[in-house]
Amino acid sequence: MALTIISLIKQVPVPGEMKMGEDGLMERTKSKSIINIDCQFGLEAGLQLRKLHPGSRLIVCSMGPASFENALRTAISMGYDEAYLLSDRKLGGSDTYATGLAISTMLQHLGFTKDSPDPFIILAGRQTSDGDTAHVPSQVAERIGIPQATFVERVEADGAGNVIAKRIIEGGYQMMKLPMPCVISLTPTGIPPRKPSLSGAIKARNLKITTFGIDDIGLGTEKIGINGSPTIVVKVVDIVSERPPIIMSAGHNEASLVDSLIANFIKGGNVLEKKEKEARKEAERPDFPEKDFRDGARGIITWAEVTNGKISRPSLELLTPARNLANLLGNDTKVVTLIIGKDVRPMAQTLIEHGSDEVILVDNERLEEYLVLPFSSIFAQVIRERKPEIALFAATTSGRELAPRIGMKTDSGVTADCTGLGIGEYVDKKEKVIYTPILESRRPTYGESKLATILGFVCPQISTARAGTFEVPQLVSGKQGIVSTFTPVLTEKDFVVEILKTERGEGGLQSLFEADIIIAGGRGTTNDSLGLIKGLADALTGQGIKAEWSSSRPVVDEGVAEYARQVGQTGKTLRPKVYIAVGISGAIQHIAGMKESEKIIAVDHNPKANIFHHADFGIVGEYQDILPELIERVKAGFTFGIEAKK
Amino acid sequence: MDTVSTDVLIIGGGPSGLATAIHLADRLKEKGLAHRILLIEKGSSIGSHILSGAVVKPEVFKELLPGVDFSEIPFNARVTKDRTILLGKHRSITLPFHIPYMNNSGNYTASLGQLCKYLAIKAQEKGVEIYTGFAIDEILCRDGKVIGAKTKDTGVDHHGHPLENFQPGTRVEARITIFAEGTRGSLAKMLIKKFDLTNGKNEQVYSLGCKELWSVPEGNIGAGHVYHTMGYPLDNDEFGGGFIYGLNDHKVAIGLVVGLDYKDPSFDVHDAMQIWKTTSFVSRILKGGRLLEYGAKTLPEGGYYAIPKLYTDNAMIVGDSAGMLAMPALKGVHLAIKSGMLAAQTAAEALANNDSSEKSLQQYETLINNSWIRKELYPVRNFRQGFEKGLILGGLHFGTQFITGGAGFFGRLRSHPDYKATVKLSELKKKPFKERFKGKLEFDKALTFDKATDIYHSGVHHDEQQVVHLHINNPENFQEVNIEQYDAPEQFLCSSEVYELHTNKAGKKELRIHAENCMHCRTCDIKSPGDGITWMVPNGGNGPEFQEM
Repeated sequence: MALTIISLIKQVPVPGEMKMGEDGLMERTKSKSIINIDCQFGLEAGLQLRKLHPGSRLIVCSMGPASFENALRTAISMGYDEAYLLSDRKLGGSDTYATGLAISTMLQHLGFTKDSPDPFIILAGRQTSDGDTAHVPSQVAERIGIPQATFVERVEADGAGNVIAKRIIEGGYQMMKLPMPCVISLTPTGIPPRKPSLSGAIKARNLKITTFGIDDIGLGTEKIGINGSPTIVVKVVDIVSERPPIIMSAGHNEASLVDSLIANFIKGGNVLEKKEKEARKEAERPDFPEKDFRDGARGIITWAEVTNGKISRPSLELLTPARNLANLLGNDTKVVTLIIGKDVRPMAQTLIEHGSDEVILVDNERLEEYLVLPFSSIFAQVIRERKPEIALFAATTSGRELAPRIGMKTDSGVTADCTGLGIGEYVDKKEKVIYTPILESRRPTYGESKLATILGFVCPQISTARAGTFEVPQLVSGKQGIVSTFTPVLTEKDFVVEILKTERGEGGLQSLFEADIIIAGGRGTTNDSLGLIKGLADALTGQGIKAEWSSSRPVVDEGVAEYARQVGQTGKTLRPKVYIAVGISGAIQHIAGMKESEKIIAVDHNPKANIFHHADFGIVGEYQDILPELIERVKAGFTFGIEAKK
Repeated sequence: MDTVSTDVLIIGGGPSGLATAIHLADRLKEKGLAHRILLIEKGSSIGSHILSGAVVKPEVFKELLPGVDFSEIPFNARVTKDRTILLGKHRSITLPFHIPYMNNSGNYTASLGQLCKYLAIKAQEKGVEIYTGFAIDEILCRDGKVIGAKTKDTGVDHHGHPLENFQPGTRVEARITIFAEGTRGSLAKMLIKKFDLTNGKNEQVYSLGCKELWSVPEGNIGAGHVYHTMGYPLDNDEFGGGFIYGLNDHKVAIGLVVGLDYKDPSFDVHDAMQIWKTTSFVSRILKGGRLLEYGAKTLPEGGYYAIPKLYTDNAMIVGDSAGMLAMPALKGVHLAIKSGMLAAQTAAEALANNDSSEKSLQQYETLINNSWIRKELYPVRNFRQGFEKGLILGGLHFGTQFITGGAGFFGRLRSHPDYKATVKLSELKKKPFKERFKGKLEFDKALTFDKATDIYHSGVHHDEQQVVHLHINNPENFQEVNIEQYDAPEQFLCSSEVYELHTNKAGKKELRIHAENCMHCRTCDIKSPGDGITWMVPNGGNGPEFQEM
């Protein structure tokens, strides 16, 4: 039977032109729009699949206002065959849970169910540039009841009804085999999207796009729209981080440019000033009755992710906000950590010493490597038994697909990639009640320019926390806690996805967090496979400096650097003393991952590169000219003011 | 590769292409004929690659759009004040009279991009199919005759080798193809060469205009106030001048236009414009304001004698590609529209008679010669050439032309390609640009801007994944002639910092090309000495993103 490839796409404002309405929701009508970049990679993955499977049917679907037809027509002009749009006013204000629900209902209406006799693959972008959650693909997969692989950069079909996907994991990648039907979400690190063709554009102009309302697909209003969504955005404030204007190096060749840089650097003068604009004064608290919506749910559960036989650093970081939330909630609120894997018992004590009150072990040799199907099933079973009010995950590639899949099982919303977690209350003026206590999840949004506070009204309230945001809690050695075991009910269906291969690089991760100087190479530095970038790091290391190298996304895309070295959104947030960005244009995601460095030096050939707006010192020049010069100076003893640790 | 067929293919969505489309649709409707008209524009949207002063003559819009309420056309302010200023280094004089042909009463200021957006809506209402964001890089021929054109293959590496996301171009077969690409169109250039359409004509000569759009405090300039400046910072042997057009909403369009027959290889029009802005006359108008947009374009100034033969079998050339520009007013919009209408009239007849042969399309030339286009262009046919000898002699000659009805005392004057006017620095008989304006080339980023800052305000972008669209025709000769002998004039002539001369520690010089900055103005294709540079069309949708230029 012919294969059907379904691409889910979203139309988003051009990054940098995003505007927000008074209500804190995206203003979609005014700005210029494009197909979300990650979704474009999903579209291309579909077109690539058709190359190998001629005769496949290519369908593109979206949900949004009528203006989203533009995006659908662009997909047709790239080579897709059919387009469907779910468009209904009642969907306005839907959160990711409601969006996942609505889209999966449309797909089921179109005949794409888990029992569908014909094979199909659902492709999606990893995440959108306006929402940044990466939830919807997982939620669609869970709702339809089919396997998934998210954060995938290559996808193939093996001709025997299986999909082979290359999935990015912390520190490396995994090759996976999934039976069809399944959902695959693509990172923007795969094959770049092709341009439309004129013949395609002519076809798109004349194509009829099928538009559904919610009644057409039999979707009720209960769980959609602003009222049906389990989470809401309650507050959005601007993030203002101001650096004094950049000091550019002056010179007529590389030697004089580097001289000038060093002179300016020694002179110093540029100090990071950080301001956070506070929201306007809170309205007075009305005299409404308080309501505890938790329905008996108590306690905080976290997930301890195991990579390379160790608890991953972001999972330990998570214990800091978890403990803090427990203290704020009071009443002897417990922090419970679930750890799933093979031979994980010895790790329980480490978790307890970092702050867990109890560790639940699920020890099973089939669970040595993370798999979303059994892990989400186990987590949901534990939640059903323990009824926690809050569940926290590190926002790793695993955490970010696991949390929404669990959220769909428990009908709770999920807040993605948080940088702040607190306890507050919500004044519902309509119902005249005050919901308290409630988890306040804060996350950067709108291209890192705003900080949104999001609340969930269904327990457990689920959030994922960005890696590198919280400190690992102080270890209290010898601390006592409870260690219990849980035996989940698992079926063979939970193991339909097979891991063919796991590749994890060593190092990178930890040393990046501890380095004093980080040299980051961008797209413009790959001619010599980052040889000069590494050379500068080596030269500094040779001087006894803790130096490391990292890269921007395109370099990881090209396979020159491993994912663990990627800085920025869904990569890492780093705060070294000196950050040297070379050949990096300064995409907003990259800036987000490095902007809190103490001093930032930018080297790029393009004087209008955005990076220069975010740096303290700059050199306009080719990296092949500048870096050898800089390496020479380092070898002669210049170490950017960092003392060598002998 | 896919092939689509159409009756008429129009390449370029500027005023001439859109006028062709609109008038052709009207004419065919009159004849009761149903035909397919495709218009393809390389900019991401109609207007994104359109730049003009602009003060336009409105009458031709009434001609193009009979029955349309004139007030519906999105002109900006009506010209209410029109002055010519003679600028000196320190002071300015308002001329008490208008230069002939430069009177603007009854004209309107406008954003040509906005006008084009409006025309595109009108064209689509009439059934024209417009596709934007597609570049055409090949003329299709069969038996030595044009049969259409092909869009560019995309998804190739720097050498043109297909990548995984290769998307082949589309062949568009057309009974008639109209070339409306603007100044020095890359396909028109190929067409002219292939069919030898400039045989017996003057060489086309050009100017480069750099423009900035500003928002200024209320009271700095009135909407509809129009100033043209002569003199500073240009020397007697540099042809050109400045313009300042007051627009609605406290905006002002300013720019400097300079003939590309200047001699100094280090002359820089962009930088000259910045110096021009520092004069008290101009800086007063910009005071307290803020830069909104920057852009640049070239203008064909050769006039009547430089217009190539405008037709061959199944093809016609219109607008700036055809050299339709009236000197000394530097107005081309009305001529572009009119030439498009006349080409449309010719095409409609050709389609009706099922004969688009060269003989049939000759009607286009006849129509032009019988229209007001000739009436406007012929009396000033020697205007620009007269200035090759400098401003004073040229001015004198223009005076005699004015008296003799355009002939001057010498009859037809020849012109020379602009790049041949460039001399080596060692042979320059005056101070090179940087010395001439020493101390004035530090831009303060408030009133004056370096190129990097200016081009940031053009929204320009180009895909990384493509063949560099600026081709050095003969690299060996380029190193020897352009870099060693002429000191790389490209770094100065470029309006948008595409070319950078890099000298390494060992003293080795190399020209680096930053194609991603390119404003599509074509100056390098025109002015680069020696074997020069060929401007090829980059991927569709690449280039500037002008909003109100």
